[in-house]
Amino acid sequence: MALIELKQLDKRFGQTHVVKNLNLDIADREFLVLLGPSGCGKTTTMRMIAGLEEPSGGEICFDGVRVNELPTQLRDVAMVFQNYGLYPHMNVYDNIAYPLKLQKVGAEVREQRVSKAASRVGLEPYLHRMPKELSGGQRQRVALARAIVRNPRVFLMDEPLSNLDAKLRVTARAEIKNLSEELGVTTVYVTHDQVEAMTLAHRVAVMNDGVIQQLGRPEDIYNDPANVFVAGFIGSPAMNLLPVQASTQGVRWRDGVNVALRPPREGQLVLGVRAEDMHLTAEGDGHFSAEVFTFELLGDCSMVNFKLGETLLSVKASKSLRLARGERVHVRLPQDRLYWFDAASGERLRD
Amino acid sequence: MTAHRQHLPSATTLLAQRWSFEFFHAAGVLLIVGVIVLPIFWITLTAFKEPRDVYALASALHFTPTLENFTTVFAHPWNIGQKIVNSVLVATGTVLVAIPMATMAAYAFSRFQFAFKRTLFLLVIASQFIPAAVVVLPFFLMFKAWGLLDTRIALVMVNLSIVLPYAVWMIKGFLDAVPLEIEESAMVDGASRARVIWEIVVPAAWPGIITAAVFSFTLTWNEFLFALILGKQHALTLPIGLIGFRTERGDLWELMAAGGLLITLPMFVLSLMVQKHFVGSLTAGSVR
Repeated sequence: MALIELKQLDKRFGQTHVVKNLNLDIADREFLVLLGPSGCGKTTTMRMIAGLEEPSGGEICFDGVRVNELPTQLRDVAMVFQNYGLYPHMNVYDNIAYPLKLQKVGAEVREQRVSKAASRVGLEPYLHRMPKELSGGQRQRVALARAIVRNPRVFLMDEPLSNLDAKLRVTARAEIKNLSEELGVTTVYVTHDQVEAMTLAHRVAVMNDGVIQQLGRPEDIYNDPANVFVAGFIGSPAMNLLPVQASTQGVRWRDGVNVALRPPREGQLVLGVRAEDMHLTAEGDGHFSAEVFTFELLGDCSMVNFKLGETLLSVKASKSLRLARGERVHVRLPQDRLYWFDAASGERLRD
Repeated sequence: MTAHRQHLPSATTLLAQRWSFEFFHAAGVLLIVGVIVLPIFWITLTAFKEPRDVYALASALHFTPTLENFTTVFAHPWNIGQKIVNSVLVATGTVLVAIPMATMAAYAFSRFQFAFKRTLFLLVIASQFIPAAVVVLPFFLMFKAWGLLDTRIALVMVNLSIVLPYAVWMIKGFLDAVPLEIEESAMVDGASRARVIWEIVVPAAWPGIITAAVFSFTLTWNEFLFALILGKQHALTLPIGLIGFRTERGDLWELMAAGGLLITLPMFVLSLMVQKHFVGSLTAGSVR
């Protein structure tokens, strides 16, 4: 159990500035997700918390005590690696028991705790297998069991689900959520998958280019993005982002269509709108019309894609809808669910 | 469709091709086996022959086998027993010193970043390009100055200089294949660097380390030039013992064959024993 503070954390690899002056407090028992595209510095940030990477500047504190100089093995953190990092020459039991062995936990207690951790993730039948005899999902659970077998101050998870197939990922995600709620240990979880972030996190820190773009609860990140990057990164499909020219009459986009909307100011803006907030409507009722570029049936709904200028936009529609390529659709924009961003800075503009 | 069919070779052509492939395949294998196995076979036969059978064509395959050659080589003046002891001690000593040293050096080359790392590594490898004949005299003078001529210690030291670069290079290859994540995993789990190396890295690279050890042992076991120059009476090794059978009375082939078998046999047994360690890469399954 620990409160983690990152103060003006900085990391450079040679010329590359990977993490830039990052400030972040992670509360005790909080599940914090670092979310961002590859190369955004999220894994480096986690590795600095683990002590596997030395910060170029700034401070890392656990419960108010600076740990920068504390070597990894003394930080009392547990980590699940992206490719699990299992010990190839040890069977499952020894893999899980290794941290306890290092802590000089007595043989009897060790056995109890290993079997408890193994049963917690459903590994009892495989305790005597070698890692190479396990499936990907089972290996992932060994890594998880090895992390929960001791009571670390902090859990660190580095894309633990990214090597699993889609179906397994959903199950494993649920297991991790359930486990973390039961254990109540401060957890930092790194992912590039926004669904994982939305479902697991108490708070999400969206990172890009070494900088936290937005920090907040999942629903805030989704409903109230701070800038174009967050808007375009969160959501599946991502928010539609359309460059427009705003004036007092409304907005117009590149092919000259004028739409009567109320932009917060004039000039070059980016208009954001989520696929589920736009509606297909009858002719005359819509803000604009377009030709269907692709029509995708997703099962519980369908997705209508069309192009405005160079930009591909998506509208979520009923699952009973059927459209062909080239058909003309009329689209209505929700006046109260529009997001406006400054085209140059990408910052959110509010009324 | 018919156009395609025309280009397909007929069944008989295919069969003929298959047979000719099989023929050349078998012939090639036989040739290789012949080149490697025939001399060993011949030495084995000769080792059990009486001197008069050695040169007689009639008794090439039909002769009365005898163990006399083996008793002769162990007796005075050949004393092959003492040479076996020397060879075993020198080779074992070299391996026992070389492998831990090489493992540590290889770990540093594999994992640490330091100035001139590439150059240093190349230098280590390049030391092997110096012909032994060039350095044997300096070595002789050096050991003479130290009073170590004709000692097993001197041979171990010389062999270390031969074996270490190979061992470092081989073990580094195996360490490079050990994923960094398992080391980091162990460090996060609470292991110190020393424990990480000893309990995680070395076991994971074990097949490679064994391979390097066997290779080093073989190299030392067969080493000839330095043993010849630096040895005189007490520190003679098996290969030197062998040339002792070239006497003014001519080459004693039957004794040389018996000695040759004694040199080969331990290597043969060693490689059989070690073979089970080569069960493919041990690191399989550690990461993803």
